[in-house]
Amino acid sequence: MNFIRGQRAKIADLVPNGQRFTLGVTINAPGLIIDFACFGLDAQGRLSDDRYMTFFNQPTTPCGGVALATPAGDTAGFAIDLARLPATIQRLTVTAAIDGAGTMSRIASGHIRFVDGGSETGRFAFTGSDFAQERALMLLEIYRKDGVWRACALGQGFNGGLDALVGHFGGTLAEPPTPAPAVPPAPPAPQAPPVNLSKVTLEKKGNSVSLAKKGNAEHGEIVVNLNWTAAEGKKGFFGFGNKRTDLDIGCLFELRTGDKSAVQALGDTFGDYFNLPYIGLDADDRSGTRTEGENLRINGQHWDKIRRVLVYAFIYEGAPNWAEANALITIKTPGQPEIEVRLDSHRNDRPMCAIALLENQDGAVKITKLVEYYRGHMDMDQAHRWGLDWVKGRKD
Amino acid sequence: MAISLNKGGNINLSKEAPNLENVLVGLGWDARATDGQAFDLDASLFLVKEDGKVPSDAYFIFYNQKTSPEGSVEHTGDNLTGAGEGDDESIKVTLSKVPAEIQRLVIVVTIHDAEARRQSFGQVSNAFVRVVNRDNNQEVVRFDLSEDYSTETAMIFGEIYRHSGDWKFKAVGQGYAGGLRALALQHGVNVG
Repeated sequence: MNFIRGQRAKIADLVPNGQRFTLGVTINAPGLIIDFACFGLDAQGRLSDDRYMTFFNQPTTPCGGVALATPAGDTAGFAIDLARLPATIQRLTVTAAIDGAGTMSRIASGHIRFVDGGSETGRFAFTGSDFAQERALMLLEIYRKDGVWRACALGQGFNGGLDALVGHFGGTLAEPPTPAPAVPPAPPAPQAPPVNLSKVTLEKKGNSVSLAKKGNAEHGEIVVNLNWTAAEGKKGFFGFGNKRTDLDIGCLFELRTGDKSAVQALGDTFGDYFNLPYIGLDADDRSGTRTEGENLRINGQHWDKIRRVLVYAFIYEGAPNWAEANALITIKTPGQPEIEVRLDSHRNDRPMCAIALLENQDGAVKITKLVEYYRGHMDMDQAHRWGLDWVKGRKD
Repeated sequence: MAISLNKGGNINLSKEAPNLENVLVGLGWDARATDGQAFDLDASLFLVKEDGKVPSDAYFIFYNQKTSPEGSVEHTGDNLTGAGEGDDESIKVTLSKVPAEIQRLVIVVTIHDAEARRQSFGQVSNAFVRVVNRDNNQEVVRFDLSEDYSTETAMIFGEIYRHSGDWKFKAVGQGYAGGLRALALQHGVNVG
């Protein structure tokens, strides 16, 4: 069924078992960085238990009733098992909030949908014309009423953004929420970017930004830079200290033709900037001392030949110690804001980190921050369904 | 103790509140908690005959026509006093003054400008209608509509009607598309 704003339905009418399903969320909004979350609320509509806010930093509720899970084709999503939710949770509200500047009126298209066993059973679609100055939205609500779970397409939000949203749910904030203006609101002042004014920093995973489409799909040179520092003089007590951490950048790519492979220093597959795959690696900084770091360059003049590029960093030698490597990835596209990703949610048991996915979306470069840690190339490949054969390699 | 009705339920007002004469019909809903265009909800009342039509346009009580010709029904607007606490709009009814030909008082709430604002009752929280005995400020009956609406822009919340010489109240909770205009036409009002 297709929901319109305000429409309600019983969950049992949407999914046969009425308990288990996945919610897929997608918002196409050029230039906006949007975070999704699912709030588990009590009977008063309050987030009385912080552990029931499911988002990038907290991928599941303690009961497992809500967990991050993105259906194929969506930007984000949540796997829901209503039967697992404690009785105190009366309501689940799926939200979208803009991180950085912009308002929801800039949404080109968006939806939240019910997916049951891979097929869609319900959809609430919306566009920017449904909104004005809102910076945070409540998209869908799933709630108990007389013992029956129901859904309501909300599509309402707050100009004050995530702060106002959390305030609505009774959350306590480090800073007071922005009061909602009573009369025609002035456009909100752009939020101060955390690094500097010319940069867009993707602080959290799942953020994505689609760079505006250029004529004839030309984007100039897209430079992905890895800069990292190896800590000095850390001699390990157990003899590991001599082996220095070596952090490398690389990418998996898939061309329009379906050809796919990797570009990385390991295995001497440095790629080729001027010929297929039009992606080249310019240096291998094995000590972390090269001030300009390692650059992976994508030839934007040939972006039309590329379907997707998965940029990753991995620790080739030495114990994985991401904190020590202090890695910073920047992605530069001419005429576009610089995008910066700092590897700051460390998994020291895993040497591989998928950093960002660059996708060719109708000629535009859509960049999604991932920061997903894996045991190795193969795991990452499988997680992103790349389908390469992997053998262990060595650098000479 | 007021009786709470579910959709479709009814009670005999004359039995629940003997000698009920001065009635206040209170209608409420939660103000919009989110930003965006406000919900402007309007309460109206149709005094209709046996055939479900108003005797004349004068028996359509709404924001532009606040009293019926004989004074049995009076729309108080947003200015509430006394028993009206919690009501967003209310309508006073003096039962003995209701003309004999009037069989039913149909209580409706509509969303003003709903289509242009792309609003519907599904976005309105905690709507209710209640009947209060103004002589002692006792609430006689209440109907919480919270789940009985979805995408409609006009709702019949309830009706007060004659039955075998008594007055009864029915929780209707029936929604319509088309706003106040559609409801007015349905009840025989000549809408310009």
